[in-house]
Amino acid sequence: MIHVSTEKLIRRFKNKEAVLFLIFILLFALMSLISPGRFLTWRNLQSMAYQLPEFGIFAIAMMVVIVSGGINLSITFTAALASIVGGLVLSTLSAAGTPSAIVIIAGIATFLVVALACGALNGLVVASIGVTPMLATLGTMTLFEGVCLNITKGGAISGFPDAFLWFGGGTVLGVPFPLIVFILVVIATHYIMERSAFGLKAYMTGCNPTVTAYSGVNVKKILYGIYLFSGLLCALAGILMSSRYNSAKESYGSSYLMQGISAAVLGGTDIAGGYGKVAGTVIAVMILQVISTGLNIFGVNRYITNVIMGGILILVLALNLIGRGEKAIA
Amino acid sequence: MCGEPKWVDYGDEESLAVAVVRRERKGMNSNTFLQISKISKTFPGVKALNNISLEVERGEIHALIGENGAGKSTLIKILSGVNQPDAGAEIYIEGKKIEVMTPLESLRRGIVVIYQDFSLFPNTSVAENIAITTDIENGTPILNWRRIRSSARAALARLGIDINIDTALGELSVAKQQLVAIARALTYDAKLLIMDEPTSALSKGEVELLFKVMRNLKESGISILFVSHKLDELFAISDRFSVLRDGKYLGTFGEDELDDDRLISLMVGRKIEYTVYPKRKCDDKVLEVRNFNKIGNFKDISFVVNRGEILGITGLVGAGRTEVLKAIYGINRQDSGHLFLEGKEITIGSAQDAVRHGIAYMPENRLREGLVLRKSMADNIAITVTDRLVDRVGLLDRGKLRDLVEEWIRKLNIKPAIADMLATKLSGGNQQRVVIAKWLALNPKILLVDEPTNGIDVGAKADIHKLLRDLAESGISIIMVSSELPEILAIADRVIVMRRGKISGEFDGATATQEEIMNKAILGVRQQAAS
Amino acid sequence: MKLKLKQNREFGILAILIVVSTVIGLNSSAFFTVENLFDILKSNVVLGMLAIGMLLVILTGGIDVSVGSMIAAVTVVVGQFLVHVTGNVVLAILVGTAAGTFLGVINGILIAKMRIPPIVVTLGTMSIIIGLTLYITNGTWITGVPDNFINFGRLTIGSFYRQGDDMIGLPVQFLFLVFTAILTWFMLKFTLFGRGIYAIGGSRASAQRVGYNLDRITIFLYAYEGFIIGLAGVVHTSIMRQVDPNAFSGFEMQVIAAVVLGGASTLGGYGSVFGTILGVALFTVINNGLILMHIPTFWQKIVVGIVLITSIGFDVVQKRYWENHTTKVDIEEA
Repeated sequence: MIHVSTEKLIRRFKNKEAVLFLIFILLFALMSLISPGRFLTWRNLQSMAYQLPEFGIFAIAMMVVIVSGGINLSITFTAALASIVGGLVLSTLSAAGTPSAIVIIAGIATFLVVALACGALNGLVVASIGVTPMLATLGTMTLFEGVCLNITKGGAISGFPDAFLWFGGGTVLGVPFPLIVFILVVIATHYIMERSAFGLKAYMTGCNPTVTAYSGVNVKKILYGIYLFSGLLCALAGILMSSRYNSAKESYGSSYLMQGISAAVLGGTDIAGGYGKVAGTVIAVMILQVISTGLNIFGVNRYITNVIMGGILILVLALNLIGRGEKAIA
Repeated sequence: MCGEPKWVDYGDEESLAVAVVRRERKGMNSNTFLQISKISKTFPGVKALNNISLEVERGEIHALIGENGAGKSTLIKILSGVNQPDAGAEIYIEGKKIEVMTPLESLRRGIVVIYQDFSLFPNTSVAENIAITTDIENGTPILNWRRIRSSARAALARLGIDINIDTALGELSVAKQQLVAIARALTYDAKLLIMDEPTSALSKGEVELLFKVMRNLKESGISILFVSHKLDELFAISDRFSVLRDGKYLGTFGEDELDDDRLISLMVGRKIEYTVYPKRKCDDKVLEVRNFNKIGNFKDISFVVNRGEILGITGLVGAGRTEVLKAIYGINRQDSGHLFLEGKEITIGSAQDAVRHGIAYMPENRLREGLVLRKSMADNIAITVTDRLVDRVGLLDRGKLRDLVEEWIRKLNIKPAIADMLATKLSGGNQQRVVIAKWLALNPKILLVDEPTNGIDVGAKADIHKLLRDLAESGISIIMVSSELPEILAIADRVIVMRRGKISGEFDGATATQEEIMNKAILGVRQQAAS
Repeated sequence: MKLKLKQNREFGILAILIVVSTVIGLNSSAFFTVENLFDILKSNVVLGMLAIGMLLVILTGGIDVSVGSMIAAVTVVVGQFLVHVTGNVVLAILVGTAAGTFLGVINGILIAKMRIPPIVVTLGTMSIIIGLTLYITNGTWITGVPDNFINFGRLTIGSFYRQGDDMIGLPVQFLFLVFTAILTWFMLKFTLFGRGIYAIGGSRASAQRVGYNLDRITIFLYAYEGFIIGLAGVVHTSIMRQVDPNAFSGFEMQVIAAVVLGGASTLGGYGSVFGTILGVALFTVINNGLILMHIPTFWQKIVVGIVLITSIGFDVVQKRYWENHTTKVDIEEA
């Protein structure tokens, strides 16, 4: 979005993102108060700091697609497929005794290439063929899952070189590496979506693709770019995840699909497209992470946590609906 | 500038029409189905209907004639209960006064409107499309297909046409689908059928079939109010003709009381109250269209546009003007033809190509195709010129953007002067200015404009006219499609008239008259009807 | 979109079914045995029933991804009922259908009242339902189904082939499939509810104008789907004789694929019970073929994915073909 004056900026920030941040602080405080001994510990905060990045990156991968007027149901299986193929490369090269640095580079490159290929397929079906993103990514999601299963036969890929574990568990100057990646992703996405020409075109496409096309914008190219970018983010999330689990399986991260949508919508992204800020999504991710971790600590059954997360999605959608009604009147 | 209402009296012709009306209005008789009077409809800023009267007899085919914007659609909406007229309206159906016309009431009284989109279901059978309405109304628990099919067959028989009731509707041609829509109207026990532009998608033969059906309906005592701009067809089928102009009712005439000239005078007879700008003779050819053809859209279109001139393209609605414009812009690609820009042949396959060549397009439907309403003025203006606003990395330079937007707000006097204001909150005139700004920012050579002052109040219209003239003076060539003859004559240097997909006439903007243009737009109506 | 084309489509699917069956039969002698065919039948009754329920949703242009979780929930409810209350078959059916309908109504109300794509809503309900289900069972199986229910599940009709000393007949579960198919076919053809579904799928705006009550039809639609899911849950339990709450993870994709394979258009408005049954048959034959030919079953998911993409792509391309061939202006003859 284009801010033309700083007063407007502050005023707008006073609205959605600030409210969300407030909610986050409140929840954080709540959790800390209820169980300081377990929530407010260094170990727990660290654990959240390691888990939040992959969730956050998925949420952003979802957000950018929703902003462009679509939805990407294949984010988790894109990451899974990238992880499995990348994992295969990692374990095979590692077993063959290749020097560690080359293994890592080859592995990471594989993650990226596979995920970008997935993104390209999505782009093809949505932009070139013209299938609605919902159905297109429903199809690609199933396809990717199938390929995953075909490779792993239901098992998990393991045998990663030790150096690989650093991605998901290492620190740089005391800060967990995943968190650094996440911060970089957030900054990059902010600039790409909210400060670049590409981003402006993406938002306009999400709002009204006809007008945008008539204005001389190559809408197909923009959509391809969005799905490729989304795929790239899935690769990053996949790297962090498989490093953390030290293995790759097609079922890893499957819950992030729904939570990703929740986070995006909670963060102010309009499910119809055209609106959404990275900051909002990030804070929403933080909120959902706090809730999920909190529930976990309090011993709430993880299944109930799923229920609550599902309930939050419905709730958030309902609130968004009411909010959209107000926006039209305002 | 122009604060006066559009319906300026034309003097003699008006009083002639009034006299005719007085002769016609014998008061209600037993043969009258519908009589309305004192019908007015005011929308914010515009009086769409001004004291309309109308009388339709039983079993009559009654034509409603008027230019685009004369008020025909508004009148139909009032008759079908969708909109309410201003206070003081009188509506009588079969002698009984109707206090409030609601959609349900209108249907119950036997008024059925057949819209251009039919409201049918392509995926179900003809029989179902025709006859299931009764079941929906009654809430039948278990459907009796035999009844539905025989009911459908009966309706089709009443129309005198033969369509296989078991085919899927989507399989039928548009013409046949329309007949199905009419058949459905019969199941509603229609007494007055209102048909809005029913022949716009039909071939000559299909029109003949439709007319045969209409005559059958007439025989059985059903009245038809036929709204169309295709005057030759109207003359072939209608018993009487009512003329609307700029929201006013000019009279009802029998066949022998109207000839081409009188008809044209009635339709366009008005003083041009816009400022008429001096026309220029430009001869530096900048764009040449040669032999553009597109099946179902236009044929043999060739013309030239010179630098700094405004070329007006006019004609009746449906003549293919917008389609030609869209073809030039690359969003409705022609089947064959050549395009030359400054002497060199170019191919435009998409809007992007067009923009790259310096061609801009302002669509007719500003709200759906011209602006992204839910975004700000700034976003809308910037979207065309992002290339000029980015730094090396591709990031938008906010300073440059701010300057650009503010420059155009100033130049075009957009109000309110707030760059972040959502486009949806602007008035029609200001919205149009934002659209203009977004294209001018590109510094185009050629501006394609479709109905530039559509839905804009009178004062703002004059401003847009001045703006367009100024742009032309500065060297931009403008191709302007407009249905408003006064507007064409006010600002166009040259005028091209299109009719039924072809160019039927070309005029010098300085010397053309409304009558001449309209003549070319409808070309020899009576002779057509007779043949 | 031609009605005739659709009928052709169904015959096309039948033709493909015959061809594929022949290919498999030639490759594996075990395929065309009565035993094998009845096996296929029994194990895919549930898929068939769910597909028929899903057909209604797809006809209106929507998608329900919560079917897997819904049937899991129903089987758990039914399982608990059977183990802790009674093995009475009729009561079990009542409980199952009640549970399914209840869940369906919730989906229906959310979708009708919140103008949000059904897929997103059902994504949410899917999480909630499976979460609750897994919580209640803690992911463990339910065993100890009473004997009379088990015996019911083993019932067969008629005698068709010899297995050892016994004559084997059609599994009783098949009756449920037949019942579902006939009931749904009847509803689609002879009730305003059914015609309303086609109307919504054909042209939502026209449906509203013509007087169909969209909200009511939507809610009833999902309730009916829930009812069928409930029935299917009972059937499944009768086959498996125990309950695994994780059994249906990812099942919804297979259901959708089968419906789409049966000629239903993802854009709505086109599809039939007969077509869906053919689609299910084709889908299961392909899977069975893969097994018999010793091709890893993981290919199944890939097949599903490709089927979906091709079908959807085909629908879109066909629609665009139609849109490009409408006349805009009546050009005057020279």
